[in-house]
Amino acid sequence: MKIPRTLRILLAIVVTLVAGCQGGGGAPEFPPGAKVLRLAEINDVPTLDPAAGYDTVSWEFEQMLFSTLVRYGEADVKLHPEAALAWAVSPDATVFTFHLRHDVRFTSGRAVTSADFRYAIERVLNPRTSSKGMEYFRAIVGAPAFIAGRAAHVSGIETPDPWTIIFHLAAPDPIFVDKLAMPFASAVPREAVARWGEDFSRHPVGSGPFMLKQWIGGQRIVIVRNPDYFIRGLPKLDAVVDLLGVSAELEWLKFEAGEIDVSAIPTAEFAYVMKTPSLKRLTTHRVTVATQYLGMNCQMAPFTDVRVRQAFNYAINKRKLIAILNGRGVVAHGVMPPALPGYDPGLTGYAYDPERARQLLAAAGVSHGLAPELWLLADQTELMVGQSLQQDLALVGVNLTLKPIALAPLLEAVRQPNTVPFMAFGWEADFPDPSNFLSVLFSRSQWGANNDTFYYNPRVDALLREAAPVTDLQKRYALYQQAEKIIVADAPWVFLYHPVAYVIHQPWVHDFVLNPMRPTRLEKVWLSPHR
Amino acid sequence: MKRRRFNLMELIGALMVAVLIAVALLAPLIAPHDPTRAVAPTFGNPGPPSAAFPLGTDELGRDVLSRIIYGARISLTVGLAAVAVTLAIGVTIGLSSGFFGGAIDFLLMRFTDVMLTLPGLLLAMALVTVLRPSLLTILLVIGLVSWTQVARVVRAETLSLSQRDFVVAARALGAPSRRLIVRHLLPNVMPIIIVMAALGTSGTLLLDAGLSFLGLGVPPPTPSWGRMIEEATIYFRTAPWLATFPGLAIFYAVLSFNLLGYGYLRRRRQQ
Amino acid sequence: MLAYIARRVVFGAVVLLGTSLITFLIAFVIPADPAVAMAGAKADPQTLATIRHELGLDQPLYVQYGRYLDRALHGDLGRSYIRRQSVTKLIASRFPATAILAVSAMVLSLAMGVIMGMIAAAWRDRAIDHVLLLISLGLVSVPVFWLGTMLLIAGGLYLRDFPLGGFSGIKSLVLPTITLALGSAGYYSRILHTNLIDVLGQDYIRTARGKGLTPQRTMLKHAMANAMLPLVTLAGLDLAGLLSGVVLTETVFDWPGIGRLAFEAIFNLDVPLIMGTVLFAAFLIVVANLMVDLLYLWLDPRIRLEQAP
Repeated sequence: MKIPRTLRILLAIVVTLVAGCQGGGGAPEFPPGAKVLRLAEINDVPTLDPAAGYDTVSWEFEQMLFSTLVRYGEADVKLHPEAALAWAVSPDATVFTFHLRHDVRFTSGRAVTSADFRYAIERVLNPRTSSKGMEYFRAIVGAPAFIAGRAAHVSGIETPDPWTIIFHLAAPDPIFVDKLAMPFASAVPREAVARWGEDFSRHPVGSGPFMLKQWIGGQRIVIVRNPDYFIRGLPKLDAVVDLLGVSAELEWLKFEAGEIDVSAIPTAEFAYVMKTPSLKRLTTHRVTVATQYLGMNCQMAPFTDVRVRQAFNYAINKRKLIAILNGRGVVAHGVMPPALPGYDPGLTGYAYDPERARQLLAAAGVSHGLAPELWLLADQTELMVGQSLQQDLALVGVNLTLKPIALAPLLEAVRQPNTVPFMAFGWEADFPDPSNFLSVLFSRSQWGANNDTFYYNPRVDALLREAAPVTDLQKRYALYQQAEKIIVADAPWVFLYHPVAYVIHQPWVHDFVLNPMRPTRLEKVWLSPHR
Repeated sequence: MKRRRFNLMELIGALMVAVLIAVALLAPLIAPHDPTRAVAPTFGNPGPPSAAFPLGTDELGRDVLSRIIYGARISLTVGLAAVAVTLAIGVTIGLSSGFFGGAIDFLLMRFTDVMLTLPGLLLAMALVTVLRPSLLTILLVIGLVSWTQVARVVRAETLSLSQRDFVVAARALGAPSRRLIVRHLLPNVMPIIIVMAALGTSGTLLLDAGLSFLGLGVPPPTPSWGRMIEEATIYFRTAPWLATFPGLAIFYAVLSFNLLGYGYLRRRRQQ
Repeated sequence: MLAYIARRVVFGAVVLLGTSLITFLIAFVIPADPAVAMAGAKADPQTLATIRHELGLDQPLYVQYGRYLDRALHGDLGRSYIRRQSVTKLIASRFPATAILAVSAMVLSLAMGVIMGMIAAAWRDRAIDHVLLLISLGLVSVPVFWLGTMLLIAGGLYLRDFPLGGFSGIKSLVLPTITLALGSAGYYSRILHTNLIDVLGQDYIRTARGKGLTPQRTMLKHAMANAMLPLVTLAGLDLAGLLSGVVLTETVFDWPGIGRLAFEAIFNLDVPLIMGTVLFAAFLIVVANLMVDLLYLWLDPRIRLEQAP
């Protein structure tokens, strides 16, 4: 009969599919006793191309697959040598000379030379690459000509021999070396990029402690030890397997089942973990160099009036907010986070004072009828924060509406003038210097870029300009702290909190440390025997 | 005996719908608390059902029972308004197609075919994302992606009715089209339209709940059942009741319209 | 008969063309500047202009549509703005996960639906018929994402060793399949029930019974074949729908399928990926329609005879 036949065919298909599947594309097999670190991730890895990646997940892997001239420590933000043995900075901070190691090799076999670093940075500056790291290297002499296509190379990057590279800057920049620690400045082999083009992300060739073994989009990424890594004895792991597209709750379940070795702690479980001593001692945490804030557009009503901005600062109950986030934050008194060099511990900021808020709003003539719209990232935590803010503002007569939106369109919108009046955002330091917060977020020249509050105070601008070339750290930080005090008084932000990152690991995982600014480095992590 | 049973389904459905509408209308009177204010200090740690809060409190300290009661307002508004849009479009197209036939029928049906191949949920998601997610947008979008079924059914009914003697006769006598449609066809197509309205509402309710679950529904803090479930998923092990109750509410609402529509259909079939 | 098939194919192609046009137009309404999405808003205007030129965005609309169509026919659906990977490859990489879930769910829902429908029709108007009716109505009234979440909760509470989400072998298939299948099972059981009742009341069935065949035999042999046909065609169309991704179930269970890919694309206003997934879904439906037409042709001799020259 015809019907049973159709069913039989269907059944056959199902059986074949099911039998042929081993959890979706074979997982790589490791020999018994191999030290494999197993992780999980909510999102897919966006890219492994150093010129393209500008997010935590991409950087996590890029810093393991590639080498930069310098890098940060495991748990600190001090500069250490990586591909460079030593470097020298001219007193006026315009000439930077690096001496490379002779034993760095790409996984394709050939040695890494100064030409490779120059190629990497020119690739980032090339408009065709459309790299977001372009702005960090624009100040190199000859970069504008190169970008405009008038020169074949950037004249300010000198490679007198294969083991020396010298950078000449058009203006003094005391933190230029930090820019070279970003994955944008990783050495990449020109021939591999020429071969793979835009698919270089899927076939990365680097000189880092690991190399890519397998990457199935949305499912799994596997990196294995690079046997030719120039530091003997590292990495201590044989491989790292990262499951992709795993939600926070699922990651936790897998951690409990022993299927993964390190996990973030989901909101719902946090209280339980902290109350259980055997679990609590397996957690690590670190205050990040980040600040979460509410940005108020100083050029759009009602936030043109400083009293309204200050009122909002007094109206928000930050402790309640941190409680809703399970205590994973510290109240922010100002712009700069505690872990940032140059942080001002003496800043007191705004206390929770709804009465004062109401007075200020009345003084500004807007005690009723204020109905601002908060633009925020459409993710669960942000929406919880948003609803907590709605509760607080309702108590002072402000009717807040929420406008959840995806990251890409949000980033685009905040850069247009007169578009976004009120937004919820965070800023994380890219390098350990106050300029990375204050100049980037509050100077007039950054209107339409990162100064999404369109804030302008000529005194602040003058201080920022004065501080930029100063190499004496004490003087430098003092100037920036002065600027910060003015900014806090002007209140273009509601200063919310500095997030604290928490992670839990299995008892057999060692030396997994959190860095305040960068994703964790994995080459020194080791596993004791288990199972 | 048989007829009584089918009427029973319709009756129960109607009763359930009536209760739902009553709850939605009387929300400010029956809800014990304001659904958006924090009334319990359970920040970050949802509270279990208790005497003071029969359905518990959520991670922002709000009373779940009040939120479910107020949620009925949004669900019903979107569900019924969207079905109105669906019917407006679907009945117009179906009637025109079935009555006029020829080129009009061909074009309208091809257009319907194209709409049928477009994935409804994806389209709704894309449209809501592009336009502002507000009450009006959502009910329009849901209505826009749900009319194809109605159009086809109404067309089939219209076609079969158009062959009947009384219509043929009226046409031969030179009756104007509009009169024919309104006076003769519409009343006869009405039972099908009523069934589609009821079953359609259950569909729009589900679609709205789905969109809210994906974060594309009416924005917070207005309580929406779908979004309540989405917010509760992270607490699925420590506070499972948070996800259970809004789901039961959706189930109740959808079931009530299904019972009503299906019961009515059965009763008409018997006659 | 060949003429009939040819006509259906051409018809399907035309519908697909119409769909691609609508999709393209909608994509144009989406307020996302791809140059900014790729290079970041900090990039200077010259870079942005270069990117726009490379993507062909400075051409008139119809030229862009033409190029898109031409590339699509060669299997190139462009590159995702956010992920910078080929859209075709992205969809292809997610397809196996979606396919296996879709097929499993279809098999389960058909099996359940057919059994429920048969029993309800066989014992018509008895208690079991009404109970099954209520169960079916209940099943189609349950929101699929809530059902999934409830199953997750039950699994988390009572089944310690069960994988709860993600695609990691056969065990992880169980909960999502059940979630997807139950609603359709209720729906299919009603359709089969209605069709069976209709068919059983027809003349040739009465003749068969008159010949002395037992009621059960009658149903199985004659009635089922005819009652199943509309159901199978419906299931075929549904399968096409399932194969283009089920966003809600995939979201609840972290299933790495096309549905979630489409959701992320919409969320990020990643236009090429949105268009790619929508077109893929439409393509599946058109193909399914064609196959259903052919199936009818094969199974129902009356149509075949009508088409004979």
